[in-house]
Amino acid sequence: MGVKKTDIVLLDDKGIRCDGRKIDEPRRIMIKAGVLKNASGSAYIEFGENKILAGVFGPRDVHPKHLANTDRGILRCRYHMQPFSVGERKNPAPSRREIEISKVIKEALEPAVMLESFPRTVVDVFIEILQADGGSRCAALDAAAVALADAGIPMRDMVSACAAGKVADTIVLDINNEEDQEGQADMPVAYMPNLGKVTLIQLDGVLTPEEYEKCVNTAIDGCKLVYEVQKKALHEKFFGENSQ
Amino acid sequence: MSNILDELKKKKVTSLLNDGQRIDGRAFDEPRHLTIDVGVIPKAEGSARIRLGDTEVVCGVKIQPDKPFPDLGDRGIFICTAEILPLADPSVEPGPPNEEVIELARVVDRGIRESGMIDLTKLVLQKNKSVIGLFVDNSVTDYDGNLFDACSYAAVSSILSCRIPKWEIKDDAPSLVEGEYSEPPITTIPVSVTMGRIGNHVIVDPNADEWACMDARITITTNASGNICAIQKGGSNGFTQEQLFQCAKTSISTGAKIREIIKAQGK
Amino acid sequence: MDDVKRKYVIPGDVITTGPYRAEDNVHLFEDKLIATTVGISEVFDSGVRVIPLTGIYMPRIDDFVIGKVKSHTSLSWEVDINSCYPGILPASDVFGRDFNPKTHELTSRLKKGDLVACRIANFDRSRDPLITIGDRDLGKIDDGDLIKISPSKVPRLIGKRGSMIQTIENATKAMITIGQNGYVVVSSEDADGLLKALDAIKMVEEQAHVPNLTERVQEMLGIKSE
Repeated sequence: MGVKKTDIVLLDDKGIRCDGRKIDEPRRIMIKAGVLKNASGSAYIEFGENKILAGVFGPRDVHPKHLANTDRGILRCRYHMQPFSVGERKNPAPSRREIEISKVIKEALEPAVMLESFPRTVVDVFIEILQADGGSRCAALDAAAVALADAGIPMRDMVSACAAGKVADTIVLDINNEEDQEGQADMPVAYMPNLGKVTLIQLDGVLTPEEYEKCVNTAIDGCKLVYEVQKKALHEKFFGENSQ
Repeated sequence: MSNILDELKKKKVTSLLNDGQRIDGRAFDEPRHLTIDVGVIPKAEGSARIRLGDTEVVCGVKIQPDKPFPDLGDRGIFICTAEILPLADPSVEPGPPNEEVIELARVVDRGIRESGMIDLTKLVLQKNKSVIGLFVDNSVTDYDGNLFDACSYAAVSSILSCRIPKWEIKDDAPSLVEGEYSEPPITTIPVSVTMGRIGNHVIVDPNADEWACMDARITITTNASGNICAIQKGGSNGFTQEQLFQCAKTSISTGAKIREIIKAQGK
Repeated sequence: MDDVKRKYVIPGDVITTGPYRAEDNVHLFEDKLIATTVGISEVFDSGVRVIPLTGIYMPRIDDFVIGKVKSHTSLSWEVDINSCYPGILPASDVFGRDFNPKTHELTSRLKKGDLVACRIANFDRSRDPLITIGDRDLGKIDDGDLIKISPSKVPRLIGKRGSMIQTIENATKAMITIGQNGYVVVSSEDADGLLKALDAIKMVEEQAHVPNLTERVQEMLGIKSE
């Protein structure tokens, strides 16, 4: 992959990663539900150094009208990075990467949202990346799912997302920014925890078939951990602090 | 593609699948017939026209010197794009690319890039100053489903058959040496295999009718060593873990067969 | 939670399994009854439902709602009922059977901005809901302030057998009309009473989940609790 620019040790001989984590340990995750006044639903997440805000509007009227579907509602999703969210200032106009990620996130949420309950309407999901670290699309999805639940949009299941990857020839959970740059593979995954379906999976990097299976399983384990944090966020807002 | 499939056709596709059959008679893991013609655009440094069933893609490779990306002064440039031309289907409108086309281009690009197919370190003219850029542009001219694989096969075939001109450095800038060419530095041949899920059935290389009824799709790219180098799931539904593992196995075995067809292209 | 058949749920939670009917905000998948919104699930003899703690108003036939007239055609008015669908009030509902678009002018009865107390007459999701103002307690609302609360808080504002709303009305001498859709009209001849009523309603909405809400509201209104 080229000359290493830094001297970071991705995995030392004690199995500790460059940020002190073990191979199956995710970064710190914090989610708060209901943080915006005007949105129908909202959530804020900190996942490692990712800081992301998600807001949901709807179901509401579709404009322009020709986009409306007579049988079911439609879901629109916008993943957008703030100019100050990354090292080198990012142009505020949507890039092709953001457009693809918006689509992939929408398709990860659609299996869960019961759009057939709201024909001829739209549910808009707006995700703003305030600060980006590795795995921002998974963190964005985690916040979006909580925002949808906060808005009372009927869902068959929650959607929980987490990435796994290959770093120093080892499959690890939740890769951070350095591991993304210097590592060997990155696999973001989104999962519906009660229905057991994967609704987002992408891969950059090379994996043998055995590594692929291990990576999928590791990512799904990560999704289940994130689900507990999403549940806690909703319980805290709606049912009071110690309701579980 | 906003192909609004009529309900009757969708029922027909699904009930045939329930009986173990596909609407065009193929096996579930059988891709359509693939024909590859290379060198169809002599002015380009590489080109190919492919037909996958009734989907047709024309691809051209332009090779020219360029400035390297900052931080990547020791390697050449590879950029792969894809476009759906208005003549490919009545529903395509001319204009800036929509999210579907953007996803298509990025997935095709990643499949080839992540496999390391082209050894970019062999495309440097002056380190940190000038390198060789390979620009691979796909245009879909006829739509019948599965543009992901069609564009990928067209791009890979164009790259395999391209010829790289020779530049030498004169007065600190690249200068073309007429009539001299070299083979591209190829390390592996990536093959993408796209599978669609309709109900609980997973089918390889969906045609336009199947594409319109799909609940979800997954594109898996493998290299010649049987390893997986890129994955993209798309569509409004999901896959179970078992389905994901089965899709990987299918992409390796079907991919191997397609690799032979690509290698055998008229050379 | 004192009642064992009730549980806090979030979307995707399996409430129970078995031969139950899936009612409001519950989805049946195989034999599992799954919550589709954040709320409190209830299992009763024949069915399972979730009382939502959030979400927009979804019209239900026979619901009493308050609406605000948005626009009209020559045949009907379009009414904002705080939902993703507008309510449609046919002119014949107001003018009667011999309504004639050529001679009857809709704005003579109801115009843009008017408030109406109405009932959902018909609704299936394929078309906008039909509303009626035909009954005795329905019709144009002549005065009062319109405020909006979350529809999921309406039961709390009404209270057990109307206890909460009566408490507020008695203490403030205000008249309060609550629509199932979260639109509430408050009117009073006493300006002070009006403000107190609005504050009390806001308090109920914000603290609906807090215990002892009735005592707090009484305290705020200056009533000594017995």
